[in-house]
Amino acid sequence: MRRTLTVLATLALATPLHAAEGERIRVTGELIDTWCYFSGVMGGTDAVVGTAHHTCALWCSAGGIPVGLRAEDGTVYMVLKIEGSAESAGGDTQLNLASHVIEADGIAYARDGLNYLVVEKVVTDQGITNENHLDYGNVPEFSVPEEAR
Amino acid sequence: MIRPALLFLALSAPLAQAAGALPFDVGGPFRLTDQRGETRSEADPEGHAQLLFFGYANCRQICSAALPLMAEVVDELSAEGIAVTPVMITVDPARDTVDSIGAPLARIHPGFVGLTGSEAALQVAYDAFSVERAQIFDDPEYGPVFSHGSFIYLLDPDGAVLSLLPPVLAPEQAAEIVRSHLAPAG
Repeated sequence: MRRTLTVLATLALATPLHAAEGERIRVTGELIDTWCYFSGVMGGTDAVVGTAHHTCALWCSAGGIPVGLRAEDGTVYMVLKIEGSAESAGGDTQLNLASHVIEADGIAYARDGLNYLVVEKVVTDQGITNENHLDYGNVPEFSVPEEAR
Repeated sequence: MIRPALLFLALSAPLAQAAGALPFDVGGPFRLTDQRGETRSEADPEGHAQLLFFGYANCRQICSAALPLMAEVVDELSAEGIAVTPVMITVDPARDTVDSIGAPLARIHPGFVGLTGSEAALQVAYDAFSVERAQIFDDPEYGPVFSHGSFIYLLDPDGAVLSLLPPVLAPEQAAEIVRSHLAPAG
């Protein structure tokens, strides 16, 4: 399969972790769809988060795309587990929290220049706070069946 | 939604040196059967490093991103003389049999090894890699759709896990990570 470059996205490592062992952190951020966020295939990073991208985020998670937690400082953590669920995508917890802003307590790992996070506890769940569908509509439009739009 | 795309994750910091052992416990022994009917363990019989993914040959979700990514990494590194074997362990043994698992994988890469086995033998591998699989719905055209593990694991020739790769990486970035673990220092 040949792939087409669509966008250069940034995985910001604002606070790089150097410990080989995990580091306990408490971090607040949105659980995002990492495929659409980094690929740019569905739009810019501001459009593929929040309410605008919630339906697609559900599809991607159900399809196996590991979820990420985009912290308030822009750091993206690839989520390995959430609260005892060994799944990184598609599980009930992952689907229920898609696009939600959460405060997570867990263990962060740095590996190969990427950040990973095992969420041991969702301390607070603010729900979906970014109502960007008012600006972007549903992104992408086809993620919602035509008859349901 | 999953669509083919070239992904670039531009790191704001240079790629870290390959780390030591993974700081979390994953991997372990298993004994399954490949598309030639031969028993295969976590070790590569030819002494190659391995890229391992849990999926199924008919998967049109994450596997359609992960398996081609693995193939591209294998080809890129092969050109540099670094041999890596792409391996998929099925989460759908009812359809991925010894006779059926090979052909769809060969269309992605001729070197792909497909592993299947009894439920008990597969469960050993799932447990080793903390893979939870569940049938989430039936696609009327393509049959059962499963949720399953979504990271690609880099194994050394003996089957020890060296690192993991999110399937959202660009092939170049994934290859760079693999290279950092396998290429001779110097």
